[in-house]
Amino acid sequence: MQTELDGRVAIVTGAAGAIGRAICRRLAENGARVVVSDVVEGAAQAFAATLPGGADRVMACRIDIADPQSVESGVADVLRRFGQVDILVNNAGINTQAHRVPIDAFPPSEWDRILRVDLDGTYFMSRAALAPMLARGAGGRVVNIASVVGLAALRLQSSFVAAKAALVHLTRAMALELGPRGVLVNGVAPGSVLSEGTRALFYSPDGSFAGRTAEFMDHVPMRRPGTPEEIAEAVLFLSAPESSYVTGQVLAVDGGWTAGSAF
Amino acid sequence: MRVDLDRQGFAIGGENTAVSRALAAALLDNGAAEIRAGISDILILSLPLCPGPGFDWSAQKALAREAGAAMQARGPGEGRGRILFLLSAAAALPLRRFPDYSADMAAALAFMRALAMQLAPEVRVNALGAGLIGDPPLAGDPAMLRHAALERPGTISELVDAALFLLDPRATYLTGQMLSVDGSWSVGYGRNF
Repeated sequence: MQTELDGRVAIVTGAAGAIGRAICRRLAENGARVVVSDVVEGAAQAFAATLPGGADRVMACRIDIADPQSVESGVADVLRRFGQVDILVNNAGINTQAHRVPIDAFPPSEWDRILRVDLDGTYFMSRAALAPMLARGAGGRVVNIASVVGLAALRLQSSFVAAKAALVHLTRAMALELGPRGVLVNGVAPGSVLSEGTRALFYSPDGSFAGRTAEFMDHVPMRRPGTPEEIAEAVLFLSAPESSYVTGQVLAVDGGWTAGSAF
Repeated sequence: MRVDLDRQGFAIGGENTAVSRALAAALLDNGAAEIRAGISDILILSLPLCPGPGFDWSAQKALAREAGAAMQARGPGEGRGRILFLLSAAAALPLRRFPDYSADMAAALAFMRALAMQLAPEVRVNALGAGLIGDPPLAGDPAMLRHAALERPGTISELVDAALFLLDPRATYLTGQMLSVDGSWSVGYGRNF
């Protein structure tokens, strides 16, 4: 699709990752001024330099969403540069790689680390970006990147599953609170996507679940993982002026995985 | 917004409503052509969008099954075929005053989801879930308004644009989903303050 985001300022967190990069690109292609924010500043800068529009339309920014101070100073940098925030894409998130274990063996420090980024970080980031968005009174959009694991539970990643289910419901609560103030809040729940993380776990020969990919794909009617661009397309629609009566929705982009039982 | 539907054929089956007519106009405007015979790339199935008595949607169901099989049999070309059901958001959240209507809608939603699994990967199958649209209503029930955070009915173009997105040739991993265009009615039904 093609839409008009001319002049709008979009912050994308976790923007140096595969899905984040695709989201930034689609927003930029449709005219938005894009803030490429990531906890890894160098990666954000390197990617920002590849986007169309140059320094007038693109900025890189280090934001660690788990750290409220980093979030506040990042949003302040954005306001100094672009003067407003219209779209926030809460894309940053982490999952466990090393601790693929059931809950009775799940390390408390890993539980805290994941919840701190995926859930607390989304709250910190939303709070900080909503302040100028609401103050300006011109409306706005928030798109939370959840996961199908927030809709259909999976094993051996309880903290991630719990955090993503929380994001699904947080999206709905935010939509109800912010709708009367002109800010629409929706979620995208990606299925399995070819990104750095899933490649390490599933789609490379030395991943913990290597060799089980086919078994896993039996549950996905489209029989393949998704691409970052396919996730970005849904984010683009939910950021576009045309989705102005859509709020509180969590759209799974998952090749039919959560449509029902495939057996 | 624009989606690139050049050289794609569409067909519309079921209820002839203001919504289905507006969607047909938007498809034409985005480059698609209406075809009356043969296999289309896009099939729209229109169901009654204003809550009332129960309804018979067996014709739409048969059409979806038949056209879906034909699209699938056309062979490789993942997601080239698309089927879109125009449903009420009440498909996922029943209305106390309209039990038969709610049940028929829910059945159509379940069928859409099962069909999406059956027809993947060649055909993408999705649904639009209309909330209160228009005044007087073209879709939905006026009672929905008090639970919609956006505090207004939607417009027909907001509904049509969401349909275009579901048919977007770039939304290639999106199947088996209902997208509700309801101003948050379906998530806000718990309390109206």
